[in-house]
Amino acid sequence: MARINFILNHQALSIDVDPSKRLLDFIRDDMHLSGTKEGCGEGSCGACVVLMDGYSVNSCLIPMANVVGHEIITIDGFKKTEEFKVLSEAFAEEGGSQCGFCTPGMIIASQSLLSHNPHPSEEEIRHALAGNLCRCTGYQAIIHAVQLASKIGGKLWEKK
Amino acid sequence: MGEKVIPSSLAEALDFLSTHDCNIVAGGSDIMLQKKNTAGLLPRFDKDVLFISNLRELHYERKEDDSVHIGATMTLEEILDHTITPQVLKDCLSELASSNIRHFATLPGNIANASPAGDTIVVEILLDAMVKLTSKTGSRYVKVEDFVKGVRKIDLHNDELIEEVIYPSNDYDVIKWFKVGSRKAESISKVSFAGAYKIEGGKIKSISIAFGSVFMKAIRSHELEKELIGMSLKELSSSIEEFVSKYSNVISPIDDQRSNKTYRRNVAENIVREFLKEIK
Repeated sequence: MARINFILNHQALSIDVDPSKRLLDFIRDDMHLSGTKEGCGEGSCGACVVLMDGYSVNSCLIPMANVVGHEIITIDGFKKTEEFKVLSEAFAEEGGSQCGFCTPGMIIASQSLLSHNPHPSEEEIRHALAGNLCRCTGYQAIIHAVQLASKIGGKLWEKK
Repeated sequence: MGEKVIPSSLAEALDFLSTHDCNIVAGGSDIMLQKKNTAGLLPRFDKDVLFISNLRELHYERKEDDSVHIGATMTLEEILDHTITPQVLKDCLSELASSNIRHFATLPGNIANASPAGDTIVVEILLDAMVKLTSKTGSRYVKVEDFVKGVRKIDLHNDELIEEVIYPSNDYDVIKWFKVGSRKAESISKVSFAGAYKIEGGKIKSISIAFGSVFMKAIRSHELEKELIGMSLKELSSSIEEFVSKYSNVISPIDDQRSNKTYRRNVAENIVREFLKEIK
C-alpha cells in the first residue's frame, strides 16, 4: 500500500492503495465510476481512455503509482463540461455512436485532440483516434462528429 | 519481495535499486501488459517494483555538445513534439502504437523491453544512440546496439536504471524510416527499416542501414557498411543486387503470428534494394 495524492474529476484525493493497481480498476471498482469501459485490457482498443493532465491515456495500463500529482478526468467527470455537450451533440447528430461501448473513449480521445488542436484536419483526426476501436460505425460517422464538434464548438477549445 | 516503491528523487530510486532486484516501471505500457491479471486483480509482479514515471529530474530533452539527450520519463508524444528530436525518430514515433499510448509510454521502456520488433531500437542503432546507465556508484554509457543483446535480453545490472537516451549528432544527407505493419496505428512491425547515407565527391562517405523484426534483435551490419563506404555511385548502381543478397544473408526472419519468414525476407530485400537504388 502507498499513499497516493492526485486529482480525480476536479476533486483532490488522498488514498491508500496498492501502487500497481490499474487506474481502470480504481475508477470502476473503488470509485464506482462505470462510464469508463474495459475492452481489450491491453491498450489496443481505447475504451478505457481517460484524460491525464489533458491527454488521453489507456487507464488499463496505468498503475496507480503513475497518477501521483496528476489530474485525471474520466468520462463521468467530463460529462459536466461545455466541451462534452458539444461533442455529445455532434456524435448524436452524425450517428457517431451505435452500441455505445467505444463512445466514452472516443469522446475522451476527441477532447484530448481538440484541446490541443481545435481545428484538426481529417488526417489529424484519424491519427489521433487511431487507438480507439469501434465495431459499429465504420469510423466515418465518428470522424464527421469530431469535424462537426470542431466547427460548432471551435471557440470553446480555442480559448484554452 | 513484494515491495512497491514510488521514489521522490533519483537518489532515492538508486538507493532502493542498490539493495533490491526490481521491475522498473516508467510509463508501464509494456510491463503492465506483460504482468496483466484478471480484471479487478493486481498485476502479477514477481519482483519488487520501482515506479519512476514521476521523477521530474528525468523529465527533459536537451542539446549538449550537439547530442540530443532524452530523459527517461519523457513521454513518446512529448519527444515527438519536441523541436530538437531527430526527424527520423519523429517519423518512427508517429507510427508507433497510438496517441493514447504515446501519451505515457517512454523511450527507455521501448529499448529495455528488448523486443525484436521494438521500433525505436532500429533508429537508435542506425544513429549510434547510447543509453546512460546509472547506479548509486556511478554511470556508464552503452550503445543501444550493444545494450540490447537478444529477445528480452539487455545489459542492465540489478542496481542500474536507464537515466537517459543520447542521440549523437550526425552529418548524413538523407535519413529514412520505413515500417511495414498490418495497419497504420498500433501495429507491431512485420519488418522495419532505417537507412542513412552521405555522399561526397560522387562517393559514399558514410552509410548506415538497420532492420527490425527480421532477427532476434534489431540488426545492422558494420561489415557490409564498410564495403559500401568509398564506392562510387556508378559502382553502387551495378552492385545493388549483390548487396541485396548480402543483406539477405545477414537477416534471419522467423514465422510468427504477425507474419512469416518468406514474406519478411522478400519485403526486407525489396526495401534495401529501393533504398540503395535511391542513393544519389
